[in-house]
Amino acid sequence: MRRSLLTSILFACSLQAGSVSEGLDPAALLKPATDTWPTYNGDYSGRRFSTLSQINQGNINQLTVAWMSQVKGVAIKSTPLEVDGILYFTTPDNVWAADARTGKQIWHYLRESQGDHIGQRGVAMYGTWLYFETPDCHLISLNAKDGTVRWDLELADPKLGYFATMAPLVIRDHVLVGVSGDATDVPGFLESLEPATGKVQWKWFTEPKPGEPGSETWPQGTDAIAHGGGMTWMTGTYDPQLNLTYWGTGNPNPVLNGDIRKGDDLYTCSIVALDPDTGKLKWYFQPSPHDTHDWDAVQTPVLFNDTDNGVERKLLAQGSRNGYFFLLDRTTGEHIVTAPFVKTNWSEGIDAKGEPRPKREKEPKPDGALVSPGSDGATNWLAPSFDPQSGLFYLSARRLWSLFYMTADGKPEGWAGRDRNLWATSFIAAIDYMTGKVRWEHPIGEGEGTAGILTTAGNLLFSADNNDNLMALDPATGKTLWHVPLGGRLVASPMTYELDGRQYLLTPIQNVMIAWALPPSK
Amino acid sequence: MEAMRVKTFLSLLVGFAGFTCQPLFGQDKVDFDRAAVERGRTDFKSSCGFCHGEDATGNRAPDLIRSAITNHDVNGNLLDPVIRSGRPDRGMPAFSNLRDKDLADIVTFLHSQAYAALHSAHVPGDYPVAKLLTGNADRGKTYFDGAGGCTQCHSVTGDLAGIAKKLKPIDLQQRLVYPETRGKQTATVTTADGQSFQGKVKDLDEFNVAIVDASGWYHSWPRSEVKVEVHDPLAAHRELTEKYTDRDIHDLFAYLETLK
Repeated sequence: MRRSLLTSILFACSLQAGSVSEGLDPAALLKPATDTWPTYNGDYSGRRFSTLSQINQGNINQLTVAWMSQVKGVAIKSTPLEVDGILYFTTPDNVWAADARTGKQIWHYLRESQGDHIGQRGVAMYGTWLYFETPDCHLISLNAKDGTVRWDLELADPKLGYFATMAPLVIRDHVLVGVSGDATDVPGFLESLEPATGKVQWKWFTEPKPGEPGSETWPQGTDAIAHGGGMTWMTGTYDPQLNLTYWGTGNPNPVLNGDIRKGDDLYTCSIVALDPDTGKLKWYFQPSPHDTHDWDAVQTPVLFNDTDNGVERKLLAQGSRNGYFFLLDRTTGEHIVTAPFVKTNWSEGIDAKGEPRPKREKEPKPDGALVSPGSDGATNWLAPSFDPQSGLFYLSARRLWSLFYMTADGKPEGWAGRDRNLWATSFIAAIDYMTGKVRWEHPIGEGEGTAGILTTAGNLLFSADNNDNLMALDPATGKTLWHVPLGGRLVASPMTYELDGRQYLLTPIQNVMIAWALPPSK
Repeated sequence: MEAMRVKTFLSLLVGFAGFTCQPLFGQDKVDFDRAAVERGRTDFKSSCGFCHGEDATGNRAPDLIRSAITNHDVNGNLLDPVIRSGRPDRGMPAFSNLRDKDLADIVTFLHSQAYAALHSAHVPGDYPVAKLLTGNADRGKTYFDGAGGCTQCHSVTGDLAGIAKKLKPIDLQQRLVYPETRGKQTATVTTADGQSFQGKVKDLDEFNVAIVDASGWYHSWPRSEVKVEVHDPLAAHRELTEKYTDRDIHDLFAYLETLK
């Protein structure tokens, strides 16, 4: 990436001597990325829209494979970083650095661990250091140069059921890390660490302490609030002007039984705005009050602005796992739009705050309750995208029906039940953010979609269907412009970068990284 | 929680067995000595249940299922000393007279309870039929013969005869709403020159269609060059899914469960 002389000098002052010749200046993250992809979502906004347009509607049919690179093991679910011509990507226990020009491996870090290996979303970078979370809930700091370990610390006790999958978020001199794990009833939290040492700067728990605001939404005089879950599974976003960072929180625990946690269970299944310097809560909005269906609200809170009657609006949009699209004022958290993007049957209506209220009769039952969506959600961790050119918000959506059973006898703990999936069909939805109405939908097949979305200034939307086809769509209409069958699923979200004046599209297919580009000019 | 996590996890469970009293998280399937668990349950109830709850989920004393000591314990190395010596500062008496064998049973019981909570994200195949039988079989029959339109494709003396003997109750309830997710579609593909092919759908997306014909041969075409008519016998089930009340499902289940 390119840096101005001034920021390079500032950067040199802020880091240890000798570490500044390469790497990522955190100050550079304050401006939207153009030719590079330095964070999980590409930039702080979470919109996953690239200003690159070399690959565009006029030449998409010439797109060809630039390189392929296979790694051992499971499917790559991470979004790689691209900084200074080097890619950094992960699977559980593994980090690779590779040449962004050729895919050739530079180094590989392996740390075998206990714990849940469901997925790994990627690393964060600060200067010449990387941050990587592990299945046994450790945070490892690596030297980006050679993958050697700087330090290794435990974020939370894996024996209690914590693990970690998310890509940390660097905001100036803070490394923000979240945790995963809702098989046991442990509290979720978000933590800010000092980049150099890993020392805790602040820790924000999803559940307030008894007596604090929000605690009144839990039963009083029981231990429910101390075991309320609310994991921080997915990377948040950040508005440098407001100095607020936005995060979704996970579902409450016990997962499918709400009887011992009657109330809205704040701040689970919420979108929260925090001050990144203090961890103080500025506002919250709760997409799923008193969730009993595992519909965490960790889908990326996407930030963009528009102008309404000459006044600029600072907006936040989320396509939530519970089947609703939400548009908020990100300064205040005030609700602007709430609208379902699939047919659901679990809510009795939307309250004055814009939050859908759950129907008691659609909570999981010993004899089964038919609910849409199922616990896998009307969308999930797959990245959404906002395209400022089309003005549309895109997400990978599902119509999904399930029978939910509350199986626990006695005091419910852990999940206390499960749903059995009936059927699912998936589509890419383009949502008019001003109304929440679906402008177009593009079916991608039976079953549950697994691919995230990237939009670009080339008037292209990249994603994949459920039949192993990588596709480029017209963001305005949803029409297919290009596709190629790849013999494997995209179980990640595509990204793009420019190197040597050439734009690359990067798509992990199972455990193979494929880079696409236009044919070389000579 | 993330999509498909539990399904993946459960698939990993197959083929792993063997029990030692190890910390539970991250471990594959554990087969507890059921006799030891039951002995431990009885001993726990009489010695510990008054304070910790009969199922160890807490009462006037803490929940031991979510306890760090239980979850870090290996073969009693942490639990034994606490039980033997008590915690006088917190009002827990010492149980120094417990026999080693009884103590080991209690430890096994606690681990099995923690394991059950950790692995509670599924509906067991042997889920009790009594929990499911909340509907009215007569109303179910009326729905089956009438509003549900089930008799258009099914017969209780034909394809559904004895269905309750063939399927576990929990599977029967799931499948009555939606039988299977894939593999039932057939298609008629008509080419530009007017030839017609029929068979089971092998592959179908917006770009290509592939079928396996009655003789077992595979054929595929680009969608742009043929006319494709898909026959989905489960279309009626999908439509019904969006119409069912929970009572309809429970009534239908009660009716079909009589077909033994």
